[in-house]
Amino acid sequence: MSDATPSGDWSRSAAAQRQYNLVGGAILAVAGLALFATSFLLQNPVPLTVRGSVVIFVAVGIAISAGLLRVQNPQDVYGGMALILLALVAFVASNDLPGMRGFAFGPGTAPRLFAFTLAILSLGVVIGGLLTSGPDVSGYKIRGVIFIIGSILAFAACIRPLGLVIASFATMVICAAAAEDVKWRETVIVAVVVTAFCSVLFPYGLNLPFQLWPRFW
Amino acid sequence: MYDLIANLWLGMGVAVTPMNVFLCLIGALVGTLIGVLPGIGSLATIAMLLPITFGLPPVGALIMLAGIYYGAQYGGSTTSILVNIPGESSSVVTCLDGHEMAKQGRAGPALAIAAIGSFFAGCVATVLVAALGAPLTSLALLFGPAEYFSLMCLGLIFAVVLAKGSVLKALTMILTGLLLSMIGSDLETGAERMTWGIPELSDGIGFVVVGMGMFGFGEILRNLEQPGTREIVQAKVTGLMPTLPDLKAAAGAIGRGTVIGSLLGILPGGGAIIASFAAYTLEKRVSKHPQRFGRGAIEGVAAPESANNAAAQTSFIPLLTLGIPPNPVMALMVGAMTIHGIVPGPQVMTKQPELFWGMIASMWIGNLMLVVINLPLVGMWVRLLRVPYRHLFPMIVIFCCIGVYSLNNAPFDVTMTAIFGVVGYWLVKHDFEPAPMILGFVLGPLMEENLRRAMLIARGDATVFLTRPISATLLALALFLLVLAVLPSLRAKREEVFTE
Repeated sequence: MSDATPSGDWSRSAAAQRQYNLVGGAILAVAGLALFATSFLLQNPVPLTVRGSVVIFVAVGIAISAGLLRVQNPQDVYGGMALILLALVAFVASNDLPGMRGFAFGPGTAPRLFAFTLAILSLGVVIGGLLTSGPDVSGYKIRGVIFIIGSILAFAACIRPLGLVIASFATMVICAAAAEDVKWRETVIVAVVVTAFCSVLFPYGLNLPFQLWPRFW
Repeated sequence: MYDLIANLWLGMGVAVTPMNVFLCLIGALVGTLIGVLPGIGSLATIAMLLPITFGLPPVGALIMLAGIYYGAQYGGSTTSILVNIPGESSSVVTCLDGHEMAKQGRAGPALAIAAIGSFFAGCVATVLVAALGAPLTSLALLFGPAEYFSLMCLGLIFAVVLAKGSVLKALTMILTGLLLSMIGSDLETGAERMTWGIPELSDGIGFVVVGMGMFGFGEILRNLEQPGTREIVQAKVTGLMPTLPDLKAAAGAIGRGTVIGSLLGILPGGGAIIASFAAYTLEKRVSKHPQRFGRGAIEGVAAPESANNAAAQTSFIPLLTLGIPPNPVMALMVGAMTIHGIVPGPQVMTKQPELFWGMIASMWIGNLMLVVINLPLVGMWVRLLRVPYRHLFPMIVIFCCIGVYSLNNAPFDVTMTAIFGVVGYWLVKHDFEPAPMILGFVLGPLMEENLRRAMLIARGDATVFLTRPISATLLALALFLLVLAVLPSLRAKREEVFTE
């Protein structure tokens, strides 16, 4: 996409890197353990190879966390590990689905085929990231994530019970807090105008079935 | 030839009814309005505006959507020229020379040449779509499931080769998309797949949900990282018309851009972004004064703008003839068509000729609209761009939310979009490209269906993909491309194209 991403040559100090790996590896290990536990709750037993892979995954996570594995390219190592986890989750999730019946594909065949290929390719990414160096993962903009995602979730929670007017006003205000240079007075004015615009456009202008006010109104 | 004219005439008859011209106008206008906003691409724009077409008859809805698409595309170049922020990933290269021209006080001619180039490219591409539509449709009859599967493989490999960055990582993204598309009910047996017992997932994850999350919300999260770096051209935009020497200089560039764009648009996995890059690089190669590029050369605006518009249009060809969406935007079109009960593919042309040809004719009208409405409205777009980003993004977020919600009236969809927003942000942080993933997600169900069918017909013999000649050719081509992309010499060249 656009070339303006600041992730190009971001780097941390050695201490910060150790900290990052400690937390990152721990998250991977915990996620792997959770998957391992889940695999015992299924009807059909999960094949030993899948369980074994999950155990190895957890071990690698712990090794990263303890600093035993040198993470040269964090972007590739963490990115690849997360995708391997996704593939393992897919294996566990599609465990109860029947596979090949004769030469006909069952519902479980294609998901496992794709998950297997994904795991192999991602393993390549992880190994590449352990062997060749690359840029660190640049810092997350936590404020942006919290307020933007919060506002979207607020919309999802409010739209049914409270109606479009309250939902869109609340979303606008919460969302605006994501910007560092937020100006509250302007924000409220903009939110009122946009809410009014939406409440006229969607239900009346476009005849979409939106409820404007709370149910008990 | 006679058929072609008769068909286009039929299409014109459909497209120039006052109602449809009006819809096309509204679509182009609204598309430009949203497309001008920085940091929101045509995918998110179309997804956001999808609900406004719900109440329309099918032909009108498609005409309006096509208008929105071209509008979004053109609006992106306006932003590139005036603000040096690409409003659209396909207009990244337009920034280079376009913004430079604007700084020299020549924003008017830059915008005008972009519009003229787009219009010319659009005219050529429209004729091309009309001319190639019929023969390619008959080609589609030769295609069995094995060929369809191989063609989609080729398309995905194209997407990998054309994505920037590591080939391996792009491949993992495609597999991720394929895997995510498996969630939901199995088409043949109806078994619930990987839904963890969540009833809302039994229909699968909607394409709009993934696209809007990754490209709409993910983009906003990323934009918030770099606050206040916009430099809007302060000078008043005067003298819209390019001079005669300008036109002369740009004419060749427009022609070459159109050819490149048309070719790259037809290929699955290609599309507008790569077309604009390729056209710019070629223009720099053939120019007698390559040092002028990057300093406000009018060819540097004309070529990529013509190319991306031509590609945007010819990418309808695989969709309308084979029923395969070659890029994410076209996948959205599939969604829009399905809502109106149209199944894209070869049968559209024979069963609903007025719809097919009406849409093609409206592409041309849409391009004309862009020239007519946009040049007088430049002043308004400039004013819109002065609105600070802190007010723009909440508006984008709320419109996206309403757009997603109104698809199924499901709050669950909105929640999923938020999750995919975070996923998109995370992926970019780890230098994974979301575009191949979206394509994999779109093609996943189609690929699985054709793979299953091909294997069933061949009685489980996987060599069927290599023994059928068309299928074998397509797969060989895909392999060849993949090898080329991994070879070091070409890799260096690819890097060069993307860093320029």
